Amino acid sequence: MNTVDRRGALKLAGLAGLAATLPACGRGFGGGGDQKGDAVELNMVWWGDAARAEKTQKALDLFHTANPGIRVRTEYQDSSPYKDKLVTRFAAGDPPDLMAMRTDSLREYANRGALLDLAQQGGKLDLSGLTDSARGLGVVGRQNFGVPSGLNAIGFVVDKALTDKFGVQIPDGDTWSWEDLATFAKQVTTASGGKVYGTNFEVWTIANLIVWTRQHGEDFYTADGKLGITAATMTGWLAMVQKMRADKAFPPAGFIDPNGGASAAQSYIAKKAIASQIIPTNNFLTFDKVCGGQLQLLRIPGETQGARRGQSIDTPALWSVAAKSKHPAETLTLLNFLVNDVAGAKAAGTTRGVPASRPVATAITPGLETDDQRASAYLAELQNEKLPPSYSYPIGASKLTNILKSISTEVEFGRKTPAAGAAEFVDAGQKALSA
Amino acid sequence: MRKDRAAYLFLLPWLVGILFTVGPFVVSLYLAFTDYNLLTPPHWSGLANVREMIGDVHLHQSLKVTFIYTLVSVPLSLGAALAVAMVLHRGVRGLAVYRSIYYLPSLLGSSVAIVMLWRYLFGYQGVVNQFLGRLGIQGPGWTSDPHFALSTLILLHVWTFGAPMVIFLAGLKQIPAMYYEAAAMDGASGWRQFRSVTLPLLSPIIFFNLVQSMIASFQTFTQGYVMSGGTGGPAESTLFSNLYLYQKGFGELDMGYASSLAWLLLIIIAGFTAVNFLAARYWVFYEN
Repeated sequence: MNTVDRRGALKLAGLAGLAATLPACGRGFGGGGDQKGDAVELNMVWWGDAARAEKTQKALDLFHTANPGIRVRTEYQDSSPYKDKLVTRFAAGDPPDLMAMRTDSLREYANRGALLDLAQQGGKLDLSGLTDSARGLGVVGRQNFGVPSGLNAIGFVVDKALTDKFGVQIPDGDTWSWEDLATFAKQVTTASGGKVYGTNFEVWTIANLIVWTRQHGEDFYTADGKLGITAATMTGWLAMVQKMRADKAFPPAGFIDPNGGASAAQSYIAKKAIASQIIPTNNFLTFDKVCGGQLQLLRIPGETQGARRGQSIDTPALWSVAAKSKHPAETLTLLNFLVNDVAGAKAAGTTRGVPASRPVATAITPGLETDDQRASAYLAELQNEKLPPSYSYPIGASKLTNILKSISTEVEFGRKTPAAGAAEFVDAGQKALSA
Repeated sequence: MRKDRAAYLFLLPWLVGILFTVGPFVVSLYLAFTDYNLLTPPHWSGLANVREMIGDVHLHQSLKVTFIYTLVSVPLSLGAALAVAMVLHRGVRGLAVYRSIYYLPSLLGSSVAIVMLWRYLFGYQGVVNQFLGRLGIQGPGWTSDPHFALSTLILLHVWTFGAPMVIFLAGLKQIPAMYYEAAAMDGASGWRQFRSVTLPLLSPIIFFNLVQSMIASFQTFTQGYVMSGGTGGPAESTLFSNLYLYQKGFGELDMGYASSLAWLLLIIIAGFTAVNFLAARYWVFYEN
């Protein structure tokens, strides 16, 4: 036996090159029931966790009882792989019948004819229980491509257990300003001896930035689908956070791993590393549980000091129907059930937000867990107030989070000034929306 | 001839597999010259994708990341593999156990679980920084700081030196002992023996490992994807070419451009491999 000769080496290397194909990225959906028979089978996909799956399945059990001719096969997974998987299903010509749709992706699908126009479906889908603004979340022009799976907003949660421990007073959550937040957070950090940072929120999350933009009298996305935020307003956002970071109200650069798609249980607030943060209100129950039950739910700062109100009513996800669904009638029956059935909504709970239909929301609220009731009340108050209108996310909107994440990280580490980062964001954002 | 037939029999699964490779291969070449959003049929766009590449700063960043990663981590991991193989080759009691221990990271290194584990080890409040803290040093966020994130991934790559190490071990075993005996008789030191006997006779193996490792490292995806949650962050510091390609195709629904990126990567890998083969003439020594 000899060492490898030239031809052998060539063959080996050639094989290695050929065998090393692109990495396989396929990942199956985690899946639910799969019963076959004469019934029409619908495929319904969404993102979320096991707790949401359990509640969803309970609602579907009720649907199956009421509609013995329809079987719903559900599949779910985490939000980030969900997005990638969904598009490949469309590309392969095998779209799900009913799907959860991100608001920032809606027009990317709708404008390309992939979704069923729900406005054309006559009496099969009753949306009369929804307010105009709720219905508007899925409207593109005169067409409707999605129904909110629930309503939410963003809220500021503060861990009272920590503030009590350190003897810091929580500001009034309806009227506090961004300066109040900075002062409060700095007090917490100081009082804890630097063990707990007063606050941290995701600088790159567009929903957070949208509130700030609206408070400054601008629309983040304009009515005609352009980027409306000015460089000055963007600079203010980045500079405010950098100021808090310098004052140790915010954790130091690199403390937070921005890429951890961490669950509530793994979040920095649950680990008592920070005392407050921004969350979507539909997650309040989960966050309060993992934080020990002492969370206070405050409004976003600056609501009474700004040029106008910043908060808005949003949805965690829309329900959309594929244009190529083989069973549109049955799918609409299912969607109508999800929107209007009180027993179903009660079973599904509020993991996707407060039911979009106001009569349904009113009917199920008394039976909810206390924390869900608190989140529902928070939302109901906002709904009763006059908030400036918001416009649907234009095509390309889903790119902005990554753009902002990259730029805000460079500002965090001092590689760019807030002004330079802001100018770059506005420029890149405008390009992303026009491409 | 009979021997050949047996060979083809063993190759059969691979030959069948190639049918499933050639189809997508050809389609992706076509898509590389189209504008394709996955939802509506592709449109022929000629060289538009190529023109876009020239001005695409994110692409340039991703190539920079991939080049740095490859040019730093491949020599380091091969060096580590050879060093450990030399030690093990000298005859260690329980060689099989050590070999398995060192090989283990290669099996695990690109797995999601290990990358997650590294994120915890190298997090701002992770084990590494707790250790540094005892020495009075506040370490950075090794995975969240754009200055360090790529180095952390390079370290992870170097740690997975087991596969080339096993191949080196096999190669070392095939060098006839008589050469060493003759060299020792002539008074050659251990270092001299390594340089004049081991390295030349091992050079085909080194060459194989080099080509293999470079191709694999140009195609790195999982480490960057998991470490950065798919973003290539912090601040694009771990934006590997393959990750950027994935983002373009599946994140931004620009599969035409993603296909052209795939072909660009193929051309780059082919180019580097060709250079490797040309350079091999000057340093790879075949005994027969």
